[in-house]
Amino acid sequence: MLKVWGRRSAFNVQKVMWLIGELELEHIHTEAGGAAGGLDDPAFRAMNLHGKVPVIDHDGSIIWESHAILRYLAAVFGDAAFWSDDPGARSEADRWMDWSQTSLQPAFLTGIFWGYFRTPEEQRDWLSIREKQELTSQCLIRLEEALEGRDFLGGSQFGLADIPAGTNLYRLFGMDLEWPAVPRVEAWYERLKERPAYREHVMIPFQDLKGRTSF
Amino acid sequence: MKLLGQPNSINVRKVLWTCAELGYSPEMEHWGTKAQPTDHPDFLAVTPKGLVPVLIDGDLTLTESNTICRYLVGHAGRSELLSPKPRERAQIEAWMDWQATELNNSWRTAFMAIVRKDPSYAKPDAVRVSSQTWNKLMALLDDQLGRTGAFVCGHTFTLADIVLGLSTNRWELTPMEKPSLPSVTAWMERMSDRPGFQAHCRNDVP
Repeated sequence: MLKVWGRRSAFNVQKVMWLIGELELEHIHTEAGGAAGGLDDPAFRAMNLHGKVPVIDHDGSIIWESHAILRYLAAVFGDAAFWSDDPGARSEADRWMDWSQTSLQPAFLTGIFWGYFRTPEEQRDWLSIREKQELTSQCLIRLEEALEGRDFLGGSQFGLADIPAGTNLYRLFGMDLEWPAVPRVEAWYERLKERPAYREHVMIPFQDLKGRTSF
Repeated sequence: MKLLGQPNSINVRKVLWTCAELGYSPEMEHWGTKAQPTDHPDFLAVTPKGLVPVLIDGDLTLTESNTICRYLVGHAGRSELLSPKPRERAQIEAWMDWQATELNNSWRTAFMAIVRKDPSYAKPDAVRVSSQTWNKLMALLDDQLGRTGAFVCGHTFTLADIVLGLSTNRWELTPMEKPSLPSVTAWMERMSDRPGFQAHCRNDVP
């Protein structure tokens, strides 16, 4: 059996839940972190000494770090579109997953979603917000270039490459900030919104979190 | 194979050390230097992301250091460095991802202020918070190494040791207050007879 721990509204948990939805995997979900707490419990720390979500337990294989979980689930349950035996083909998705977590996510999720959206107005550091807005805009332009002539980030089919970067889009386009014109990214977002698993696990309203760092 | 970057960049060194373990010697094309900065149009034509390292192998152009290291190990079929078995592979990748996200983000302010002496990072409170977080995360690595008694993911050397070895070398060479982490020290000693470690990790470059 597959068990998943994490708060459904947590960005890194949403990536994992989206893939679980795509692969239609039976699972047991347990809220952890945020208002549910529990991350410092010895039983949780025994699974992940870092005390962070998401964590999965699949028949005794305990895995943490959202991208490690995505790759594990793709390798165990996915078909060739999700996990190729060829290292070169796998690197197509890998490079966008790594880029998303080291370039896009620090700029948008940490810099804008937390630094701007969730921070109370009087505590906002506008110098940093403007810098992160510029970095996020540059990331959107990288995606716009990458999507030339392809429907999905990794190629003609939906795959792992789409998940980390695509998880940002619902919040990014749902926010009252200006972004550069990126028609191919917007068309890609429309394609993702057609997917039931994206609607169920990523399009979770967040407007009530504005100006509020608590859960 | 051709590697684009410069040998002092910590992310390029991950690839160079991995190549040393595999017995690969890609031709090095210097980018990310004063003479050839990464915002040069010729470099951006190779990778619009404008980041080193880049590995070119035939018609494949790979970006992102961890992606390149995974690719090279798969290419060489050296499964002891990154297992093809999903469960074992995930343990290694979790530590690689942790290095690229949590650990990397913790040190930025302290390292840029103390070692690079970049004035835009010279805010004492932020530097203190950054070095405390960096030390706290290094202590977690020490716990893990205490548990395995050998390498990051168990009794054998893997890609996780390469990426975290480079981070640890940077931590050791950053002059700031640090706790003593005996398991980390013993692990760095354990790797010290590896030629790749000597050439690209513990080479006096932070």
